[in-house]
Amino acid sequence: MMTEADYYALFEAYDRGELAAPARADLEARLAADPALALRYADFVELTGTLQAQSRRRALRQQLRGIHADMTKGQTSLKADVDAVKAETTTAPMLRISRTERRLREFWSGYRATVGVAASVAVMAVFATLLGLEMWRTSKVQVPASYQWMRREINNLKQNQRAINRTIKRIDGTSALPTPPVNNGKFGGTGFALTSEGYLVTSYHVIRGADSLLIEGRDRQRYHAETVYSDKAHDLAILRIIDKKFNGFGRLPYTFKSGQADLGERVFTLGYPREDVVYGEGSLSARSGFEGDTAAYQISIPVNPGNSGGPLLDGQGNLIGVISARQNDLESAAFATKSSYLVKLVDSLRNTQPATPYHLPKTNQLTGAARPQQLKKLQDYVFVVKVFAKASE
Amino acid sequence: MSKGNLSSSGTTDEQLIAAIRRGDERALSQLYRTHWPMVSHFVLQNSGTDDDAQDVYQEGVMVFYEKVRDNSLELSCQIKTYLYAVCRRLWLKRLTSKSRFGVRLLDDEEHGPYLHTGAEDDLLAAEEQDRRFSTMSEALNHLGEPCRSLLEGFYLLDKSMQDLTAEFGYTNADNAKNQKYKCLVRLKKLFFAHYKEEQAR
Repeated sequence: MMTEADYYALFEAYDRGELAAPARADLEARLAADPALALRYADFVELTGTLQAQSRRRALRQQLRGIHADMTKGQTSLKADVDAVKAETTTAPMLRISRTERRLREFWSGYRATVGVAASVAVMAVFATLLGLEMWRTSKVQVPASYQWMRREINNLKQNQRAINRTIKRIDGTSALPTPPVNNGKFGGTGFALTSEGYLVTSYHVIRGADSLLIEGRDRQRYHAETVYSDKAHDLAILRIIDKKFNGFGRLPYTFKSGQADLGERVFTLGYPREDVVYGEGSLSARSGFEGDTAAYQISIPVNPGNSGGPLLDGQGNLIGVISARQNDLESAAFATKSSYLVKLVDSLRNTQPATPYHLPKTNQLTGAARPQQLKKLQDYVFVVKVFAKASE
Repeated sequence: MSKGNLSSSGTTDEQLIAAIRRGDERALSQLYRTHWPMVSHFVLQNSGTDDDAQDVYQEGVMVFYEKVRDNSLELSCQIKTYLYAVCRRLWLKRLTSKSRFGVRLLDDEEHGPYLHTGAEDDLLAAEEQDRRFSTMSEALNHLGEPCRSLLEGFYLLDKSMQDLTAEFGYTNADNAKNQKYKCLVRLKKLFFAHYKEEQAR
């Protein structure tokens, strides 16, 4: 009886071709006849085959490592490989790098996509936060645009454009004034009569950049006007009504004060911060204006956009100033240009031989009257000044 | 192989394969050097290190080499393409096992010329072989001394029976041989037990 080990000895001899011809023929016959023996032989072949393959694999691995080492060292005795080696050394030069650096490189090559995404998210988060904070702050805190002109932006004027144009045509009697298609009404202010002949006063900033001007009284009567003179420094403008059908304001009820008004004087104004005339009352709180401007008073009348160019009168009905602006970061601080500058301006204009002479009113009909009576007389001489600006303005 | 691609040093693919089949070591070396930059670049591009590239490339070259030596290589494309396909597949497998996420490689997945190179099938065979090798190593480890050293010495390290007889202190070569056969029988039992177990899994 043969043990398995004996069989293995036999198989090995057979595989190596060491068996004599008769023994070989005998084994082959038995393998063909006996399936159990054939299976045993197959197992043996697989076992030794695997071992040998493993051995070959190991040798091959060793050989490849050797080749790789040779290649990276750039040392080769084989002429045929010089080119390949050159290409290799130029594409991937061997660098002496430290352990830490190699780790960093590995980390970078492994995670650079993630790092990139994280970085961009961080950047976006930072900017979103900054923007958000900025928006939150601006929504919370009033913008301290401390000095604000009190002219009014008119939005609904556009809708009235046609009606206005029709009116203008009617007034003109001709269609000489073309419909201004690009001239949308932009701003509005207040103006008041300077002389009975048709001169008016308003603030310069109201009519700045004006294309055409429209004066509208309390009785909805509209006049076309032109700028005669503008004084940018004192924020004053003199207008003149140029409609032919206009025949004078009649006697003006107030006079113009050429001197200084007193501190603490009770003062009032009429103006058009909205469609209807609005009365405002307060006192003269300082003899200088914004940032020490001596050409203006500070007054404690609440003024709104649209009040600009309005008359400022004292209790006796003397005109002492022209409303111009307010300071937003101060409580109830409005400014009015002093009437003394207006009077000086009119004096200087008289010398230029104007087409219509300037006759400032001499008598005051408001003195001593109660406030409502004063206002009744006054309101016919206060007008809305509507400004049609160029489209580019 | 109708194309007859000229590799950088002026040898065609056929010549190279023929030389490798003859066992020409210089041919293997040349093959290795020629295609190394390509695979290295590929692996480094796809978040691998230089060591990874070396591993993958050597694995790929071994698959190719063994197929050539077996005469079982049916190459329908250039060697370059075949090697790229094999190494690409190998690296993809490693990445997938390493990564928690799905892996996408930085190349054209759908239309690459490395598809349909037969590399897939060859790799499956190679993986089977790898599994057999690892089972064998395991079986050898379980075998215990001196059987393990004896068998490793004879088969893996290619030592002659005379050397082993002297090394292990057997009285003569026949004793050593008998011992070897006994060891082989035990190894067979361990190996097939493990191997069947592996396959059942």
